[in-house]
Amino acid sequence: MKKIIMLWAALAAICFAQNKISKNHPSTSLTCKTCHACEVPTKQDPCLNACPRASMVTVYQPAEKTKNVVTLGEISKKYMPVIFQHRIHAEMAEMSGGCTTCHHYNTSGPIQPCKNCHLLNRKRDDISKPDLEAAYHRQCITCHREWSHQNNCVSCHALKSSMLSSAEMQKAKALESKTHPKLVVPKKLVFQTNDKDGKLVTFFHDEHINLFGAKCVDCHQQQNCSMCHDKGKANMVNNPEGMPIKMQKSKAEHHKPCFTCHQNDDCSVCHKDKVAGPFNHEIRTGWALNRFHAKLSCTKCHGSSYKFTKLDNNCISCHKDWKPGTFKHEVTGLKLSKNHLDADCSDCHINKDFSKPPTCTNCHDDKSFPKDKPGTLVAGKRS
Amino acid sequence: MGKQNRRDFLKTTAIAGTAISGLSIKSAKAAPKDILSEDRMGVLVDTTVCIGCRNCEWACKTAHDLPTQSLDKYSDRSVFKEMRRPDESALTVVNEYPNPQNSEIPTDVKVQCMHCDHPACVSACIVGAFSKHENGSVVWDTNKCIGCRYCMVACPFQVPAFQFDKALNPQIKKCDFCFERTKVGKLPACVEICPVEALTYGNRNDLVKIARERIRRNPEKYVNHIFGEYEVGGTSWLYLANQDFSKLQFPKLGDKPAPGVSESIQHGIFAYFVPPVSLYALLGGLMWITKRKNESEE
Repeated sequence: MKKIIMLWAALAAICFAQNKISKNHPSTSLTCKTCHACEVPTKQDPCLNACPRASMVTVYQPAEKTKNVVTLGEISKKYMPVIFQHRIHAEMAEMSGGCTTCHHYNTSGPIQPCKNCHLLNRKRDDISKPDLEAAYHRQCITCHREWSHQNNCVSCHALKSSMLSSAEMQKAKALESKTHPKLVVPKKLVFQTNDKDGKLVTFFHDEHINLFGAKCVDCHQQQNCSMCHDKGKANMVNNPEGMPIKMQKSKAEHHKPCFTCHQNDDCSVCHKDKVAGPFNHEIRTGWALNRFHAKLSCTKCHGSSYKFTKLDNNCISCHKDWKPGTFKHEVTGLKLSKNHLDADCSDCHINKDFSKPPTCTNCHDDKSFPKDKPGTLVAGKRS
Repeated sequence: MGKQNRRDFLKTTAIAGTAISGLSIKSAKAAPKDILSEDRMGVLVDTTVCIGCRNCEWACKTAHDLPTQSLDKYSDRSVFKEMRRPDESALTVVNEYPNPQNSEIPTDVKVQCMHCDHPACVSACIVGAFSKHENGSVVWDTNKCIGCRYCMVACPFQVPAFQFDKALNPQIKKCDFCFERTKVGKLPACVEICPVEALTYGNRNDLVKIARERIRRNPEKYVNHIFGEYEVGGTSWLYLANQDFSKLQFPKLGDKPAPGVSESIQHGIFAYFVPPVSLYALLGGLMWITKRKNESEE
């Protein structure tokens, strides 16, 4: 009897321990085993697995919805707490790894403060992850070093002694309301390679976004901060528009963003001897985009970006509902008269080639386009 | 038994000698010196994390009472223009190399004594001024040193430095793994000050596991090599890098302990008292021949 009571007590204790999960604990469909190695994790011994960095994080939010300023002051002795402009950094991080750049092991619950995992003491038992000071520094210094080429403390830390002056206080206050300036998106970039043939690569930045449907982060994933912030360096941002940009990185690094899509393309698609002109549908495909089609983005007809599908020039390839009877011919600028409504497209447009002028001779011996029209012109639209 | 004859004397000294050497082997196991403990400590240097702030250089000098500039002077990066070596005035230095993965961020490498598991300096020192301690550190004793500088020749990493400029009481200078600090539970000075924890202090076995885990998680970032895990029989200081260690001026060393060859030759020759016995036999023979010659001349 005593044994049974003991067993029940033990079971109850386990259940109680399992149920008492703190508010911060993620409560989504993750299985316990994803993070915890043992059967009954406790607060004292959570027996956490080494989670795969980044893939655990499910909390993504746009930069403008995040905290503006976070004050990091747990470890300051000589220096004032660091006023970290969270939102600006979040905006920049959208082009260089996103939230997970810093919030790396966060599970699907609320964002955890760094100190939950990174302990305050340098001398500690679990040395598998850095202490809090090192964790902060590792996140900040790598980027700051890239573009400032310095490791000086005072760019983030104000000295405690200097903070006594009111000017410094005001400066700190001003930081809180600062936002990141709007990004200037370049139109065209010309890269100068070291190759003999096809020396120049012209990259139309605006086309890739507006026409081809590329998003910033498709190419700008692991962006160096120095690309914008290293004022001393000649780079794409500091380069005057259209001036050739010399190669600074390795060949592989330069090709990497392009190869996401242009993997199977011939070199000469990008590498040319002269500065190339903008994308021209007629030159590339033999089919000029006029009138209604001129302003369309590629994705509208050719499917999602990166997997553009080839189409023939039959209207029906895109306009699935364009059939005799349902097609509103007035969108072309010409409203068909009653007699012509039931005619097949190919009666006037021979072989359904809509790029050529229509013909009347299939039915009428004495009529010819454009002198005679099978209907009336719609006001305001060009025929 | 007032008069001990020569044969008896040799017998007793031989027996006493073996007894002493036998004892000394036993007592060495209990003593913290010159043994390899499973709990020995080490430092894992992750050169991919190091930012080259050189705070460790300052902390080291301060901890060892060496003259130094103020800490803020150490942010000067022009020192990286030339390669530096640890010497009698700086027990650790940081050098900078190009980073093949990111040209914006150079690779910085801290250099100091590696604290070998089988130290060549300990083996080479003829007066036992060097000793390997239970906590992994290889420490030099000023009271025993005679200034022969064999340790400088023996070290595969060319670490020990000699105070050539001091006429009186010159010392051998090298990183002592902050022996005086760790003894009282403090961290080595460089580990304590590192702002990014590029230096991780801990049990050497744990550090090897941590290093392996870092490589496993980030195979693109690291070369699959923990320098010091097997080099010269293993060292207390371990290194991770993003490029081949030969490009970071690490010497290419085998897995066998550095003193292995010299020790095996020496121990081979000196086994069973062969050299002293043969020397005495030779001298005895010479004496016997000359004595007989003198006698025959008389």
